[in-house]
Amino acid sequence: MMDAQLLISGVIFGLSIGSIFFLMAIGLSLCFGLMRIISLDQLLYYSIGAYLTYTLSLVTGSVWLGILGGLVVAGIVAFAVERLIFRRIYDRDLTFSMITSFGILIGGIGVIKFFWGVVPRPVPIPMMTQLDIAGTEVPVYRLIVVAIAALVYAGIWLFLNRTIIGKAIRAGIENVEHVEGLGINVSRLFTITFIIAGSLSGLAGGLHAPLIMVDPSMGLEVLAFVFMVVIIGGLGSIKGTLISAFMVGQVVSLGSLIYAPLAQMAPFAIMLLILLVKPTGLYGSALLKR
Amino acid sequence: MVKAFRWWWGILLAFSLVGLSRLFLPLPFINEVIIFSIYTIGCSFLLGRVGFISFGQPAYLAAGAYGTAFYLFYFGTNPFVGLLLGVLSGLVVSGIVGPLFVRLRSDYFALVNLALAVIIYYLMQKVLADFTRGDNGLWFLTNMASTPLLDISRPDQFFIFALLVALGVWAFYKYLDDSIFGACCLATKINEDKLEFLGYSNYSVRLLAFIIANTTTALAGAMYAVYLGFVSPEITSPSRAADPVIVTILGGTGTLYGPLVGAIAYTGMKDVISKLIGNWELFIGFLLVFIMLAGDKGIWGSLQPRLEKLFSRRNAPGAPDDVGATRR
Repeated sequence: MMDAQLLISGVIFGLSIGSIFFLMAIGLSLCFGLMRIISLDQLLYYSIGAYLTYTLSLVTGSVWLGILGGLVVAGIVAFAVERLIFRRIYDRDLTFSMITSFGILIGGIGVIKFFWGVVPRPVPIPMMTQLDIAGTEVPVYRLIVVAIAALVYAGIWLFLNRTIIGKAIRAGIENVEHVEGLGINVSRLFTITFIIAGSLSGLAGGLHAPLIMVDPSMGLEVLAFVFMVVIIGGLGSIKGTLISAFMVGQVVSLGSLIYAPLAQMAPFAIMLLILLVKPTGLYGSALLKR
Repeated sequence: MVKAFRWWWGILLAFSLVGLSRLFLPLPFINEVIIFSIYTIGCSFLLGRVGFISFGQPAYLAAGAYGTAFYLFYFGTNPFVGLLLGVLSGLVVSGIVGPLFVRLRSDYFALVNLALAVIIYYLMQKVLADFTRGDNGLWFLTNMASTPLLDISRPDQFFIFALLVALGVWAFYKYLDDSIFGACCLATKINEDKLEFLGYSNYSVRLLAFIIANTTTALAGAMYAVYLGFVSPEITSPSRAADPVIVTILGGTGTLYGPLVGAIAYTGMKDVISKLIGNWELFIGFLLVFIMLAGDKGIWGSLQPRLEKLFSRRNAPGAPDDVGATRR
């Protein structure tokens, strides 16, 4: 039997890792929903966010500033990539976006190796204080990560439901041609969505950096988990992404408490089970053509 | 006889050229090219003929390689039995995941398949570390007994064996392309409703294609294992997941000789570039982006029509094909 302290810290760990997954998966999900591309380069923006957090926290001494810088730079890089590359492949097959973005990811890892080398870098935890929850010491930083993810979810929800641009994005997920027919500049809509996705991935990287070591292939390490989150939740659904991110987070965290290898295997098994029942994930729409 | 020759001559010509290149190219390079092209042809078939983007090929490569490696490391000494077991384990793995995966839409298929490759990487690196020796890998070069007739534990004889296997694989895929099954595959890519209407089941066509392609990949994995005498989880590393897809597109998606041409170009570039600069990922990533933006025909895909035009003009000037070609 697991004791309560272990369980509480496990749940908190799961929540924080789920928040990171959510922040990254939302980018993939939004990009797929609106532009019908699979943007694997989100994982590159995640690494960029983490590395900028490392460098800026070294230079300025503040990790929070680093995270902010990571978010901004990831957004800028996403903007450049969208303008230079994705622009040209929107109307092509899904295969193209997937392979091209994988190329960007691999090439970007090369660039990171060029600038920062291959040695893993540590990032200090910005808040060392512990909070007492039912007799368990819980790191405040992890709670802040969860709070930020909750804020982002609320922000995204407000953005999509209360602003004209957000409503246009939601309409675009349903049918892009109708939105274009209304006289809305779809190309600008795509750019905005891509920048949002990229900066959220950068934020995820920055927030994750103090919890792990920053190394060039960190994007590839979370790749499988982010994929599972997106697939379980259903491509293009924000609500589904939120639910599946926290589900996968808990499975990873509590699974590793029971038996360490479960952390990697259990989410995969759950994903296969869910796909067996519903091939489009929990909230994925079946309307999209193959 | 003439008909048979006409069917075979392209394959024979291609592989005699590869065989002849032995005279002036180093042996490891050609062996690598041959295995790599077998590795890629499955992916090319899936992408070009059935319309599946398979980023998960390393998973099946690893299935083949570890099937062979476990046998040669723990149980036996005969590399041929090892190869057979490797192919068999590829068949089993793709038979298990196939029924689940081929039901998915192509976008989900791509993601799930890549996730499978990463999971197998973890499985081999961490979970089964007691059996696979983790990152140290399994070494069994000295375990392999020499076999009579063709001693494939020696690189120079392995080359002959690999060439024969590749010849067989290519003949098989050419046969598939010509067969009704090949037409069904193409139909399921282009218009699944029509295929259903004609009385074929999309599901079984896809499943069969999936199993065939991934068993070929497992064969390549098994050949890697025997050739190198060493298998480590690195073989299914996520950063190499795109290798077969890159080679497929570099060579020309769905064409018969694309994988071979792509493998030669890719392995050659890799050799040259990695000698010049250490940062291999940087180069390959941007090469990939460049290829995708430049067009999707690939080397062989853009070469093939020209070659055909050249040959048809020389053989039969003014033949109906030729007139059609000029009119277009």
